[in-house]
Amino acid sequence: MMNFVQVMIDALALGSLYALVALAIGLVFGVMRLVNFAQADYITLGAYSLVVPTASITPPLLFGALSPALMILAVIGMVTMLALMTERIAFRPLRRSDPATLLISSFAVSYFLQSLLTLVHGGRPKAVNIGGALTQPVEFAGIRIPGVQLLTLTVAMTLLVALVLFLKKTPIGIQLRAAAEDFQMARLLGVPANRVIAIAFAISGILAGTISLLFVIQTGLLSIGMGITPVVYAFFATVIGGMGSLGGAVLGGMVVGVASALLQTYLPADLRAFRDAGVFGLVILILLVRPQGLIVTGAAKERV
Amino acid sequence: MKRILQDYGPLLILVVPLIVAVALLDQFGSSILNRNATEALIRLVFAVGLYIFVGNSGLMSFGHMAFAAIAAYAAAWQTCCAMLKPITMSGLPDILRENTFPLLPAAMTSVALAGIVALLSGLILMRLSGLGASISTLALLFILNVVYSNWESVTMGTSTIVGLPIYVTLWVALGCAVLVMTVAYVFQRSSWGLMLRATREDEVAAASVGISLYWMRLAAFTLSGMVAGLGGVLMAHFMGTVSITSFFLNLTFLVLAMLVVGGMRSLAGAVVGVAVISLIINVFRTAEAGISLGPIQFALPAGTQELILAALMLLILIFRKDGIMAGREIEWPRRRSTAVASSAAKTMELDNRA
Amino acid sequence: MQEQKLTLEAREIRVEFGGIRALNGVDLTLPNGAILGLIGPNGAGKTTMVNVMSGFQKPSTGEVRVDGVVVSGFTPQQTARSGIARSFQSARVFRDLTVEQNLTVAGLGIGLSKKAATEQARDILDWIGYRQGNDRRCNSLPYSDERRVSIARALATRPSFALLDEPASGMNERECEQLMEVIVNIPRRFRCGVMLIEHNMQVIMGVCERIHVLDGGRTLAEGLPEEIKKNPDVLRAYLGDKGTRHHAAG
Repeated sequence: MMNFVQVMIDALALGSLYALVALAIGLVFGVMRLVNFAQADYITLGAYSLVVPTASITPPLLFGALSPALMILAVIGMVTMLALMTERIAFRPLRRSDPATLLISSFAVSYFLQSLLTLVHGGRPKAVNIGGALTQPVEFAGIRIPGVQLLTLTVAMTLLVALVLFLKKTPIGIQLRAAAEDFQMARLLGVPANRVIAIAFAISGILAGTISLLFVIQTGLLSIGMGITPVVYAFFATVIGGMGSLGGAVLGGMVVGVASALLQTYLPADLRAFRDAGVFGLVILILLVRPQGLIVTGAAKERV
Repeated sequence: MKRILQDYGPLLILVVPLIVAVALLDQFGSSILNRNATEALIRLVFAVGLYIFVGNSGLMSFGHMAFAAIAAYAAAWQTCCAMLKPITMSGLPDILRENTFPLLPAAMTSVALAGIVALLSGLILMRLSGLGASISTLALLFILNVVYSNWESVTMGTSTIVGLPIYVTLWVALGCAVLVMTVAYVFQRSSWGLMLRATREDEVAAASVGISLYWMRLAAFTLSGMVAGLGGVLMAHFMGTVSITSFFLNLTFLVLAMLVVGGMRSLAGAVVGVAVISLIINVFRTAEAGISLGPIQFALPAGTQELILAALMLLILIFRKDGIMAGREIEWPRRRSTAVASSAAKTMELDNRA
Repeated sequence: MQEQKLTLEAREIRVEFGGIRALNGVDLTLPNGAILGLIGPNGAGKTTMVNVMSGFQKPSTGEVRVDGVVVSGFTPQQTARSGIARSFQSARVFRDLTVEQNLTVAGLGIGLSKKAATEQARDILDWIGYRQGNDRRCNSLPYSDERRVSIARALATRPSFALLDEPASGMNERECEQLMEVIVNIPRRFRCGVMLIEHNMQVIMGVCERIHVLDGGRTLAEGLPEEIKKNPDVLRAYLGDKGTRHHAAG
């Protein structure tokens, strides 16, 4: 029973993490019809900003050397700026393109950022110790949970709640939500396109920065492809949840995260390595049964 | 004769220069140059394979390297490592583990296997909407990557399988390239190709004239999966090694870049894209190895090549969205006078009949 | 598939979009060989009706039948192969294909061989009077040619019933006259019935044998053109009350 609670917390932590990434993807998709592969590299770049660019696999710290509050600010700030820059330079000129072109261009941006990182930091994974103390288990009502899980859960939940409040209560948030669910309509009603898109990207940057910190605390590793898995999971989450629905993105992220954690625990040991394949297969299965995703919005359908 | 030139002109104008180029290289080229050219021809096979699906259906696919990997590993299982297989790939069924098969049948069964997997996955994936299908092809790539990276008893996991017979010479690669280009061209001119392109242009209007999106897309997906499989087999028997890591995001991106740069909607675009990208790759390979300018020796850091490719792709997307060929084939010039004369003749005929 | 069907019937069609009733119990019959006009103010439900009849919209209740066979559950493709063709308000030609290919592909869609589909395409283009070159790509066509091609394409599916959605919009007077000439000849040439949605009253009155008027998702009136012209309900729907009094007075 205790074990089950622990598993559930793991699952929820992972689920809410993926929900956050999925929300970032979903926001940008909603306002621009763009599936932003580069989100993976926002995360990776945030993580790498913790260390000085060298070829060494145990590099000296850069942002990582700052006090916790400053470090968080620096990383999140930098990633947000990066996200805004990619929007301005790469995605804005392509704004009126069809979804296929946008998809490919985000792939190209992602590849560009990855190559840049490889050039500057070298391709080998690095070890980094940030907040390693947090990986220590915490005693909580008789259960021992790794501190970082608790942190992830708390941070993710807080951010989710904050975002939901932002989207529901603040004027700019409402505009953003309207634009994300039906961009044309929102524009007709006078919502400023540039501002709304920039804010969507900024939020995706903030989320990426946060996630990069959580990842580094949890794993202590930096690798060029570290952002790919969570973001790929997040894409699938938005697809399951129903593209064009923010609630769907969050739901999809939860489903994917929980499924992944549960598989990790309950699969027999020799099949555990195939867990990811299991999750991706589940995604395809859900799509078959309900191709439009779990939550459908009118924006997704084409008018005849 | 004129009809053949007109109908097949766009294909011939791509194939003939290739044959001539290979003949020249065979005579005069250095072995390094020929190796690079063979690699470029293998890339051409990949590009044409992806083009058959993407160019005609308008849907993106990120999963084609999965089919390439499936075929490459199948080729390895059949033709490699007779001594070591029982140990390193003990999970293989007896018939594979204890036998080695002749090269041509092995290649054919490998390609067929890729085709079968493409068909089966297509049956599922083509049920999804455009964007959903594209993203699911990414899932396909990841699923295969996870499975093959971990199924050590059968694939040696992430270790490289070494020792495949190397038989892909310049001419073999050329032969395969010409074959797939012909297949692609014939497909796009066939009824199925035409109907598929209508769905690319306007799904709704295509439905209104009775065209089934599902079957058309499935046909193209399967065919293009087979060609990707062929590319995988060629790669395996060119390098003599097979590793799952080489059939993942990097190669996927490279093939995509070639189609974007050259233009995704025409065969000529695929060829031009491969040519341009191969040129860049080779220039950077030399530069990264080190150039001497007089007394100065300098080498570009590793990774510059990918950076430049990605930047090029973005520039093309922004400034010339349809790629260099802009979706056009290289047509045999039609003389305008003939077209006008024939319609005038027709009108006169009708008047006479009336 | 090749035999022409006799009657297209829509019975008790209701369509709801999230609380809005686009169609509220419409009955409509289109016999083969007839030319029926479907008119009504904006938002009356005309395009929705065409969508229902061509398989693009499933009715919430009600049925569409062709010679007694229910087709309202069919996909658009199946509906096309059952003999119901349609054109679109925004033409929707296949832009990267040539004019001829646009029609050929329609023939292929209903199962003709490539040879038969191509021949048919050339015949129809000739009949409709298109002389600007069958090999022209549709991404550079003038507006009225796009519309002609989209009508021709619908006819290339050998329909028993052709539903044309605002083919005259954006046309000048001469083009409208040419269009009317074409429409009037469709039933005989293609052995099919035509339903014409139009706002252009000159075209409607010029070619239609009967007219069906929709307003707010309901049938307002149905009958001969002369009757409809004088029907006060119809006038009121289009012009508002002031206009009716004006018309009755003058």
